[in-house]
Amino acid sequence: MVAPDADSRHEVAGDRTPLLRIRGLGVRFQDFEAIRPLDLDVLNGEFLTVLGPSGSGKTTLLRTIAGFQQPTAGRIEFDGRDIADLPINRRPFNTVFQDYALFPHMTVRENVAFGLRVRGVARTTRDARVRDALAIVELEDLGDRYPAQLSGGQQQRTALARAMICEPRLILLDEPLAALDATLRRQMQRFLKVVQRRSGITFVFVTHDQSEAITVSDRICVMRSGRIEQIGTPRDLYYRPQSRFVAAFFGASNILEPCRIESTGEATTMVSTPFGTMRVDGPPPQVREGLALAVRPEALVPAADDTCNRIECEVVSVSFVGSETITELKHPEARHVLTMKTRSNPSARHPVVGSRLEVGFDAAACALVKGAQE
Amino acid sequence: MTRNRIIDVPLAAVAVLVYVSLYLPILLVFLLSFFSMRRGKVNWDSFSLSWYAKLFENDALGEALWNSLLVGSLAVAAAACFATSAAILVRSQPGRHSARLLEYVIFLPFLLPPIITGLSLLIYFREAGVGRGIFTITVGHTLFVSAIIYRIVLTRLNALSRNLVEAALDLGATRMQTFRFIILPNLRMPLLTGGLLAFALSFDETMITLFLSGTDATLPVRLYAMMRVGFTPTINALVTLILGFSILLTVAVALAWRRNAGPAGKTSREGRT
Repeated sequence: MVAPDADSRHEVAGDRTPLLRIRGLGVRFQDFEAIRPLDLDVLNGEFLTVLGPSGSGKTTLLRTIAGFQQPTAGRIEFDGRDIADLPINRRPFNTVFQDYALFPHMTVRENVAFGLRVRGVARTTRDARVRDALAIVELEDLGDRYPAQLSGGQQQRTALARAMICEPRLILLDEPLAALDATLRRQMQRFLKVVQRRSGITFVFVTHDQSEAITVSDRICVMRSGRIEQIGTPRDLYYRPQSRFVAAFFGASNILEPCRIESTGEATTMVSTPFGTMRVDGPPPQVREGLALAVRPEALVPAADDTCNRIECEVVSVSFVGSETITELKHPEARHVLTMKTRSNPSARHPVVGSRLEVGFDAAACALVKGAQE
Repeated sequence: MTRNRIIDVPLAAVAVLVYVSLYLPILLVFLLSFFSMRRGKVNWDSFSLSWYAKLFENDALGEALWNSLLVGSLAVAAAACFATSAAILVRSQPGRHSARLLEYVIFLPFLLPPIITGLSLLIYFREAGVGRGIFTITVGHTLFVSAIIYRIVLTRLNALSRNLVEAALDLGATRMQTFRFIILPNLRMPLLTGGLLAFALSFDETMITLFLSGTDATLPVRLYAMMRVGFTPTINALVTLILGFSILLTVAVALAWRRNAGPAGKTSREGRT
């Protein structure tokens, strides 16, 4: 799920200065608050994904940054300059649209050249830069085609080249992969990531697909009902969600509740759950009430000697689903059934249904989450 | 099988009947412009172009034809400007009451009985002290054909992604550049088809023109005047010519339409500087 270099990405993203500073930004349509006043920093050179279900305000946020939507409150600063009043065509960054919005009456080359043409760049310079841009997106041979003669992926790459041609420091991408089939989507995700890293352009990318967000992002900003729910690296959000919403958005979790705090230290918190007392690593929670302990199914493993959080359970069911084996477990004291996902191993003994099994999880592989049952 | 036949045979009969009753009179007029008729039978030996020759000797008809072409061109040009601006305005303000109102105002002259439009304009021009002539006919036709061009242009605008305008602005284009490089090139075909259709309508329009023509008659009005004096076979020749021209325009519209519906490639490479 998580790319191997996730940790290095975290460090790189951490020490950069914000390119885009959003403060108190709100958007209201009559009675509907599409974006509740929020703050967001986009760091220079990072790949930031705005992730959320439909209606969460993510596209409105992007359109407000691009200038298509007027904010009703707050400031947007680009490189230290307030751009809230700047018209669309004078904002120093470009957008890749969900439907690509390629000009149907222009060839690929003319589409890509458009940004230079309206700025009055000389034809020779223009041609050279268009050639370079087409080389980056690997479309050198299709320059004379019209958009209708291109595949979805090629249209997507044309839109990207067109947005990059004026060498903006920031590119906004509004669900650019939504129209592609699954295989092409994965290819384009890798492609976008490579282009972003090579060019050093900051990407703000909107999607509703959590696996896509995890694959491409340096950081993910999860939105819900016009609010930012949590911002962090893919690894943070996956293993250390702060709310039940984020935990659920990134896949199934075992929720251990009710969960009461017994003691808090600087980097560890002891909590009591129906399954026993558990240790959670990480900074102490901001709230003390209404908490639950979230553990990913694959973080749950048969207990070894050094496992700190242990649960003695009864095996309810074992199902083999190819590369993984899913075991359902029940604790006599708790209502919930726990799900354990382990890598299938042909030589290992499967747990027997009805037998007792001691499972456990690492203190760093669980998170205290807030929020009601959903 | 038999059930299909039970339906098909009467359907075919009705279709034949409709086509015959529609086109037989036209065919007759066409034949009579070349041949003479005796005791209800066409005399096939009497082929002559004399009626056409007479037609071209008639200076009043030549002037009427010129008036028709002039009014058609002016009205189409004026309506194209007006309808395109209106369509862009309505498209950019969807759902606004003012946009809906504008739409009604454009459609009304097309939907009203021509006699009402003609009469209202006549009264208006008289009160305003504008003498009847080419100008008043052109105004009447402009009002009448705007709806056609408006509808066709708006359909094309609606088919264009709204994002195109946003994309152009996003890439740094001014409003003017967006119109010139993005909107206008995409309106070339609808303007061509709409213009041809509007021209055909203007060319055949009689009722409104009757009220507004004064001494400058268009072809249909001249034809009408000739009919009132008395029927001569020259009229057959004139009707045949008008018919031929209208068919030509219709075919042109149909062809343009087909090209328009085809893939959006290749047809428009202009728009580059």
